Amino acid sequence: MTQVQVLILGLLLGGVYALMASGLTLLFGVMRVVNLAHAAFIVLAAFLSFFLWEGAGIDPLVSLVVTVPVFFLLGMAIYRTVFPRIEGSPRFTEMTVLMTFGFAFILEGLMSKYFTGIFRQTKPPYAQDAIILGDLYVPTGQLYAAITSAVFLVALWAFLKYTRTGYGVRATMQNRDAAQLVGVDVRRVSTVAFGMGMALAGAAGALISFVFPFYPSRHWQWIAILLSLVVLGGMGSLKGAVVGALGLAVISSFVSTHIGAVWAPITFFGALFLMLMVKPEGLFGKKARA
Amino acid sequence: MTDIRTVDQATAPATEQRVPSSSRWWVLGAVVLFALALPSARFLGSYNYVLQLATIAFMWIALASSWNILGGYTGYISLGHNVFYGVGGYVAGMLLLELGWSPFVTAPLAGLVAMALGLVAGLITYRAHGTSFIISTVAMLLVVTLLMDNWSYLGGSNGLSLPLPGFDVSWLKVPFYYAMLVAAIGAVILGHRVQHSKFGLALRAIASDEVKAEMAGINTRKYKVMAFAISAFFPGVVGALWGYSLSYLRPVIFLIIAVAARMVLMSIVGGRGTVAGPVIGAVLIIAIDEASVSLLGSSELNLAVTGLLLVVTLLFFPLGIVGTLREHNRLPAWLDWD
Repeated sequence: MTQVQVLILGLLLGGVYALMASGLTLLFGVMRVVNLAHAAFIVLAAFLSFFLWEGAGIDPLVSLVVTVPVFFLLGMAIYRTVFPRIEGSPRFTEMTVLMTFGFAFILEGLMSKYFTGIFRQTKPPYAQDAIILGDLYVPTGQLYAAITSAVFLVALWAFLKYTRTGYGVRATMQNRDAAQLVGVDVRRVSTVAFGMGMALAGAAGALISFVFPFYPSRHWQWIAILLSLVVLGGMGSLKGAVVGALGLAVISSFVSTHIGAVWAPITFFGALFLMLMVKPEGLFGKKARA
Repeated sequence: MTDIRTVDQATAPATEQRVPSSSRWWVLGAVVLFALALPSARFLGSYNYVLQLATIAFMWIALASSWNILGGYTGYISLGHNVFYGVGGYVAGMLLLELGWSPFVTAPLAGLVAMALGLVAGLITYRAHGTSFIISTVAMLLVVTLLMDNWSYLGGSNGLSLPLPGFDVSWLKVPFYYAMLVAAIGAVILGHRVQHSKFGLALRAIASDEVKAEMAGINTRKYKVMAFAISAFFPGVVGALWGYSLSYLRPVIFLIIAVAARMVLMSIVGGRGTVAGPVIGAVLIIAIDEASVSLLGSSELNLAVTGLLLVVTLLFFPLGIVGTLREHNRLPAWLDWD
């Protein structure tokens, strides 16, 4: 395999990781919530796509119109029922880590029980196909997934940049108290942002359903990778998450080709440890408030 | 030192005004005596189930109490502490296979190796705070799992079989029972010593406000790394014993994140940063486990119950059983081991 080929595969993979990580970093940026259950929700969305595919023959790319709104509503409901209770606690972020750690186990347990631990994958025709360009090949499944991810990320960026609510979200990311002072309804912005973070998980779930085989306990592997690249990019920075995802996915794809596929995840964790030792706040992060 | 004391009093005002009581010593003494005498029930019939359950409970008391040194006193939450448990299991297992040394003898050594690894982990992560620290412990767990799954010398993901100890089968569980009991008592005493030492004071100062602690002249870096190392010792010890009692070692036994979740859950349910908390939490969670597996009949739903308990505890009693009772001045003297 040529180096260009490895690069292409890495970039396609990175596109999907970027979407998976974007919801995570949005939640942290706006609400200081670290959602350890993010990947578990992604797996749940993948199951939703899978059952739509198996049961009704709906293409996973079409099932986005179901998973995204469903997860948006689910996100807002979760935010409203759980988070106001712990909002005032002195170590809020740490509390959210533990709380979502609990969510992850609840989801994994229920999914293992009712959906079983069998490896699943939706198999639309394009998922097994590839475009051949000379001696290079581009797997169409991953290509479509990466393109769809890019569309969602651009839409997210445009929303944050050009809409009034998006403006409020960015203000809240920069300084929650100041945003409140200048009249941003932080509570509403947080609810919407949480819904959007979960909607991004819903979108990522539909995409990974044909890119990776999945099973309930697989989410730990993903959340560790996602958290590593979010820390690397700087917690709460969308740009950081995208750059981290693309960069690390490319490196891991080289590791996978030249050293062995099982060692690919080490790239992410190794990069995390290096970053923690050199620049703990990450590439694009603000100095951490302890 | 005066500065540190002020920080400490701000976090735990209740400890200073406690009425000294001897009732807890009676209760603790009775519990330990009962535990020591329990294996003699073997003469009355087959008590293997009870012994096994008690052995498991002792193991979790040791694990949760150790986690509490870092996660409770210091306020640094580790979601990868089962790494040290696994390392202990493998170190003792390999010493048994390669040199024929019994894990009953090498368990403390396995603890020391785990401690050395804890020191390394502490040195890598001491610059990370709060969330980044938690994430790095998850990453540490996954790195070690990946190594263990693919290290053919250690049997990879299929693991290794260990020879059984050469005792009479009907008494097989008894030495494990006593060894775990010793480990559990050791871990609780360690927690108590830490609580009452200058070292523990520094840890609690770090937990309440790391910047102020640093200002007060505490070498926070040194103390955090030390807390990490010390909290790794007993997980290594009980890992060595547990692997031997199962007679096989496999990464999934030690390294699935649910094991780490248990340590966290037990400490939080019982009360983080208290001596009695992890003990109460461990016993309670083991009891709930037994009940839920026999009622629901499924280990998958048991996982969901674990998660639900964590969420409910955090929402309604974030201080845990011991912490909540103390806050309302309802903590019975026999539960106040601090």
